[in-house]
Amino acid sequence: MKKLRLPRISGILAWVYAALLVIPFYYLIVSSFKENDDIFTNPLSLPAVWDTGNYAEAIGNADLVRAIANSVIVTGLALALTLLLAVPAAFALSRATGRAGRMVEATFSLGFLIPTFAALFPTFLLAAATGLFHTRTFLVFLLPATAMPLAVVILTQFMRTIPRELEEAASMDGASTLTVLRHVHLPICVPGIATVVLLCFLSFWNEYLYSLIIIGPDPAQRTIQVALPTLQLTTGTDYGVLMAGTVFTLVPVFLVYALTQRQMQRALVSGAVKG
Amino acid sequence: MATQVEPPPTVRSGPTRTDGPSAWREKFPGLALPGLIWYAVFTIGPVLAMFVIAMLRWPGMLVDPTFAGFDNFVDVFSDPVFWDALRNSATQIVVGLPIMIVLAFLLAFHVVRKPRGHRVLRFVLFVPALISAPATALMFYSLLNPDGLVNGVLEALGFDGSRAWLADESTALASLIVIDLWAGIGYSAVLLASRLDSVEEEVVQAAMIDGAGNGRLAWGIYWPIARDFIGVVAMLQFLSILFSSAQNVLLLTKGGPGTSTTTLSYLIYQKAFVDADLGYSQAVGLVLFVLGLLGMFCIRRLLRATH
Repeated sequence: MKKLRLPRISGILAWVYAALLVIPFYYLIVSSFKENDDIFTNPLSLPAVWDTGNYAEAIGNADLVRAIANSVIVTGLALALTLLLAVPAAFALSRATGRAGRMVEATFSLGFLIPTFAALFPTFLLAAATGLFHTRTFLVFLLPATAMPLAVVILTQFMRTIPRELEEAASMDGASTLTVLRHVHLPICVPGIATVVLLCFLSFWNEYLYSLIIIGPDPAQRTIQVALPTLQLTTGTDYGVLMAGTVFTLVPVFLVYALTQRQMQRALVSGAVKG
Repeated sequence: MATQVEPPPTVRSGPTRTDGPSAWREKFPGLALPGLIWYAVFTIGPVLAMFVIAMLRWPGMLVDPTFAGFDNFVDVFSDPVFWDALRNSATQIVVGLPIMIVLAFLLAFHVVRKPRGHRVLRFVLFVPALISAPATALMFYSLLNPDGLVNGVLEALGFDGSRAWLADESTALASLIVIDLWAGIGYSAVLLASRLDSVEEEVVQAAMIDGAGNGRLAWGIYWPIARDFIGVVAMLQFLSILFSSAQNVLLLTKGGPGTSTTTLSYLIYQKAFVDADLGYSQAVGLVLFVLGLLGMFCIRRLLRATH
């Protein structure tokens, strides 16, 4: 087979873009160890001393450790709630044959097309009305709802692949619906659940605007994404501190990406394609 | 049903016992209800409420709202700031989206041909999809500041390196578009590559035997085959630019200088949470909602499958 000649323009383009993606991160990391003077005069050189003072200041200044803990709590609980709602829903929809089932499924599929962001303020009102305003709790309730269409559609597709005979055999042996769900469907759906968990992890962990307006400025409640930009106000133009804070917030996401690279890539692709 | 008369002889009552409820369950997916209700309360509810609030005169949370009919829309359409915001959002999309999609397609085409280093590229292209809006914004805040890396590089190349990119009326919106491109090209490319991967090798080989170069291969073979999917990715990025621009604007420019970076989604935020003009804010929300649906429809028409 003849070897392809490389598409030259797209090749140059690809590596230029890759460089544009990587260089800012390099700059981000080296700057996080430098003072302003050093950042301005030698932007791309390695720091003379690896001074972690910027990290200490960023973490202390914006209470980032507490904020990370809040993010872990919110993301974890919201993920659990998402699965708790979406798994049974997908289970029921995959078995449903009637019109009601089709209508519910269509509602979730249409959910992709509704630009819910425009409703930022009514959501804020809902938080106020439920008395959960300025708390993490409301966010734990809200985030699963935003993920529901994607989670249900992906999981329903997985559950449809399970042969009916398998399920009938199980109920013949006297297994209850929940037992069937737990012992027949869940094990087969593990890849689908992993996809949903990774997608939701990313979107919940990175969620900013809703968290900002609902949780507000309270350091005891706010998530890492809300805490990070406050450095802009408190430290002003101390870029080393800003960059240290930014690096600190990126570590958890990159850790997860490093550990689950393949699955994460597959999840991001399949998640978007459903939309 | 005759079995009801006499007690079932032995253990084999299973099928009849489960048949009834299970058939009913198939018609009515009860286990889907909690998820559906949850979804309705937290997302459909607020969208519907938007329609109501847009009809109210409501100058602040602590004031009782009164009915205003279409007054808010009259206010919105006679406000020059709204038209500025519409123009900025339109610029962001009309300039940003085609560049993003075409470059992402070229990148995807490159990666799919499996040249040397394509694995590294695929890994790197994902990176912007992982990073939150605040982290991206702060990174560009430092890159674009008057003493930042961008000006440093420009100065080293002999250009003027003193511009405050985000605070200059003539470059602020362009900077925001660049950030959209930086973040959007990689992810779109990855998505497109997943579709181009499935183009059959025979088709490509046949075209190459006919003497098709890379340009013809890209635009004549891959683009038409993936057209439908390119439309899906374009819709995705369209919504993301239209709606999430509020985050970058809030973090980087607050709509200024003047109104040069006030986009529609930021205007909603500003009117609701800064100016406390809630009816106005939600009227803009409705306009944005309709524009979102309209834009998706247009993209769908423009990039419909041709085969």
